[in-house]
Formats: sequence, C-alpha cells, structure tokens
Amino acid sequence: MDFILEGLAQGIKLIFSMDEETANIVTTTLRLTALSMFGILSLGLPLGFLIGYHDFPGKSFLRYLVDILLSLPTVVIGLLVYAFICRNGPFGRYELLFTIRGMAIGQLILGLPIVIAYTATVVEELDSRLKMTLKTVGASGFQLAITSLWESRFQILVAALTSYGRIIGEVGSAMMLGGNIKWYTRTITTAISLETGKGDFALGIALGVILIAISIVLNFTLSLIRRRTEKLQFLN
Amino acid sequence: MKHRYGTGDVTLNIPSLSIEEGDVMGVVGPNGSGKSTFLKILAFLEPISEGSILYKGNKSSGIETELREEITYLLQEPYLLKRTIFENIAYGLKLRGKNFNVKERVCDSLLRVGLNPDNFINRPWYRLSGGEAQRVALAMRLALRPKVLLLDEPTANVDEQSAQLVKAAALSAWKEWGTTVIIATHDLTWLHEVSTVIVTLYKGRIVGKEAENIIQGSWEINGDFAVRNFSDGQIIRGFCCETENILAGSISPSKIKITTVEQPRSDSLNIIKGTVVQTTLDSKKESVYVFVKVGESMIKVLMPLGQMQKDKIYPSTQVWISFSPNNLNWLY
Repeated sequence: MDFILEGLAQGIKLIFSMDEETANIVTTTLRLTALSMFGILSLGLPLGFLIGYHDFPGKSFLRYLVDILLSLPTVVIGLLVYAFICRNGPFGRYELLFTIRGMAIGQLILGLPIVIAYTATVVEELDSRLKMTLKTVGASGFQLAITSLWESRFQILVAALTSYGRIIGEVGSAMMLGGNIKWYTRTITTAISLETGKGDFALGIALGVILIAISIVLNFTLSLIRRRTEKLQFLN
Repeated sequence: MKHRYGTGDVTLNIPSLSIEEGDVMGVVGPNGSGKSTFLKILAFLEPISEGSILYKGNKSSGIETELREEITYLLQEPYLLKRTIFENIAYGLKLRGKNFNVKERVCDSLLRVGLNPDNFINRPWYRLSGGEAQRVALAMRLALRPKVLLLDEPTANVDEQSAQLVKAAALSAWKEWGTTVIIATHDLTWLHEVSTVIVTLYKGRIVGKEAENIIQGSWEINGDFAVRNFSDGQIIRGFCCETENILAGSISPSKIKITTVEQPRSDSLNIIKGTVVQTTLDSKKESVYVFVKVGESMIKVLMPLGQMQKDKIYPSTQVWISFSPNNLNWLY
C-alpha cells in the first residue's frame, strides 16, 4: 500500500511540475486524437446520415456490418492496419507505420463505426415532420442533411464524445502502429503501459490521473448533454 | 395521377383535375379519404406512382426541388426547428439567399398571424402554445411569399382565437399576392365563406365538385335498390345496378329538398325526418347549408337563404328532407 501511495504522491508532483516528457506525451495524445476525430467525423457524419436517411437494398446488412466493427478488439484492428501499412504491405510506400498518421488510421477504424451507428440511428428517429418542413421551405438535399444533423446536434455530440472516449483510452492499436517512440508517438496509454512495465509507477500514475481527469470531464459532459436532450425531447 | 405507398393499394386515383391560378380550393372528405396525401403530392413532398402533374402547363417531374420554392405546405401538426422564432421564420429566406430585409419580412409575417414581434422574435421554439406554434409555422411559409399555399387541416389542433388568425392570415396571402390556396379541412363554414371551388374526396377519388354528402355505412342490395337503414329506423334507397359491394352513397346538397311540414310517404322519393343542428351561410350563392341529423348521420342540404328565413328553419327545428333515389351516386 505504501508503494501505491508513494507512486501517487510522485505522480501528483509530476502533474504540477509538468516536465517536458509528460507534456510531450499529453500533447502527442491530443494531436493524435484531434486528427483521428477529424477523420471520424468527416466520414462518419455523412455516412451515418446517408445510411439513416435512405432506404436501399442491403441497408440492414450494412448496419449489421457497422455493429460488428463496433465490437472488434483494438489489437485486431491494429494488426489489420499494421499489415497494410508496414513496409511489405500495399501502402508501405507511404511510410505510415510508427507515425501519428498511421496511429490515426487505426483510431479512425475504431471510432468511425460508433459515429456512423449513432448518427444513422438518430437520423432514422428524426421526426418525419422535420424532413417535410425542410423540403417544403425549399431545402435541397445537402441543406436538408446539414439542418437535420444540426437539429440533432446534442445526440451527434454524444456520438462524437463516445467515439473520443474509445480512442483516447485504447492502447492495443496505438502500441502496434505507433511503436511507442519517445518524443514522437508515445501517448498517454502507451506510456502508462511502458512505465508500469518498467516499474516507474510515478509517471504511470501521473498519466493515469490525467486520463481519468479527461474521462471524468468527458462523462460529465455526456451526462449534461443527455439531460439536455431528454429535456428538449420532453418539451417537443 | 395515381398514388400508392410502396406496393400497397392505390391511395389516390384522380383521372384529371385542374386548379386555376388564384383559386381558393377546399378539399373535403371523411378521415382516410386521402386529403393529406393529395396535398403532399401537390406540394411535391410525395411522389406519384403513375401519371403526371403539370405546373403552369409544364411537367413537374425532375424539377420538384425548384418548384418547392414556389409551393409550400403547412402540416396539420406544426414542426418548428430547434431555434428561436426569428431563426425559424428566416430559415427559408436564408435558404433562398434572401439575406436583406430579413427582419422586416419576419416581423411582417408574425404580424400577419397575430403575433407581436417584440414578444416572439427571440423566443425559443419550446415556449409556445399549440396555437402559437401553428401560427409561427404559417408565418414561416408566408415569409416566402409562396405562389401556392397548401394548408392541411390548419385549425384542427388549435384554439378558437388561433384558428381565426390562421384563417385570416391564409386569406391575406390570396388577397394581397394572388396566392393559390388549397385547404383540406372539416370546417365547412370557413370553406363556404372563402372557397372558389370545393372538391370532395372519398377513398382517394374525387366524388364531387362541391361538398357532397357521403352516406357511409351498411348498404344492402334489395332487388333493384340499395337500401340504407339509419339507427332511428328510417330507410333511404337508391337505384343500383351494380352487384359490387357499395362503400357509400353520395348526393349533392342541392338535390335535396327540406321543409318543416311533414311529407306524405311516396314510392318515388326518399323522405326522412331529422333535426337541424347547424346552418352555414354560403354568401356567394346567397344560400345556406343546413346540417340535418338523421339517426347517426349528418346530411347537408343547400337551400336559398330567403326560404330558410321564411320557413323558420333554425338549429333544433324538426324538418323533413326528401330526394329522388335517382340522385344517389354510388361509391365502390
């Protein structure tokens, strides 16, 4: 128990002192997740809207496929992406392995199904009067999509935050695709994994506290948004 | 044109219909007759399954999005976007790139529906009563100065004051801009005051070019006649050659006579007794629609205003109505 408390005390000191290495790990994490989220939302929102809005042959199968991707283990995703971007793989020439961009590809595959599935469900459950109202005041297809997504912005935000929560906390694919290179591809989760293995509990705890803090803020925000969404649905 | 949802039964079957620019058309019919679907099709919100719709003489297929810039539809239950009233009303204007004088247009639209802009412009969508929401939804459409305004039961779910304001605002579009207005409603009083033409829909077909009587219920074939029993024991009959199941009989209100004097039985006429429950003025024709309750049914009779006053036919008066069996039309 003393060992844990000592590690905790040193970890808290590290947070307040924010040494260069810790700061680099945190900023790398934030840069990586920002890049991943940009890709996830850019692809996930339009795809989710199209799947939710239209009826087409194979729609059920597509939804089923998305649900399967939701439950894929992170190391499997890491393995698959590794096979494609390693030197011998089809995209080896782009030198993505052990880079932030390579890690972002893995996180995109992790987080994209969440946004697609949530967005499709939200769009399917949109009030049918919304579509008629938008069309009858002259909205084109694109304008209808943008406005529909904006009308369900709180639910979309839940999807985005849930996706973010998944990618920021994963270690399997980040380790395989990033290599945990100090000053370059070392993120909070890969650093915790390494430092704990080395026995350097203090840094591991410091990063763990930061990750917990991010998680708490995330969940608190989600909870606030859900309450607001329920309130707005009640008022509607 | 014909319409069906998916591969289901035909919901609308209209061989031909012409609506003139500047008309105020009333669409009446019992629930399930296809009024809402008809309006949505005219608003190009619902595709037809067969046939074509011409707008200003031109085929409409393929250009529905452009046509919806001139034609707008007010839903029976209003839906407002999750934003302020100002942003709701301005939404359509901004879609069209009309970014100047937006505030003036929004305020004008609110005033037309009887809402004070100072009190409502910044209000969020959820702080409105049902009547206010319907009025804001109408203001949203009026702001666009539509060429065609389609109203689906606009006063069905609102309070009396809101209903009057909605009616007045819709009519103002017709009077000031020459907007063609098409109204689906059960409010026959209003329709007869404002409509230039009325069509009656039944089971997706136009069965009359005025507010026809649709006598539903169980019609039994008896020789050459179809016979309808009312709950008070009275009977009417009409000549019927078809052996198919009859869904309803229809008769024009102008083909029914009404009197306060008991009529002797006749083999050549249907004569039934009822009680007047409502009268509605048709000011254009100087006539009155008299609604007579017979058993469980309501039958409309059109009579000259002068005669109504002379015979003292008012609500609660007991009357006899009569019509020839030949004047009944059949709906299958």
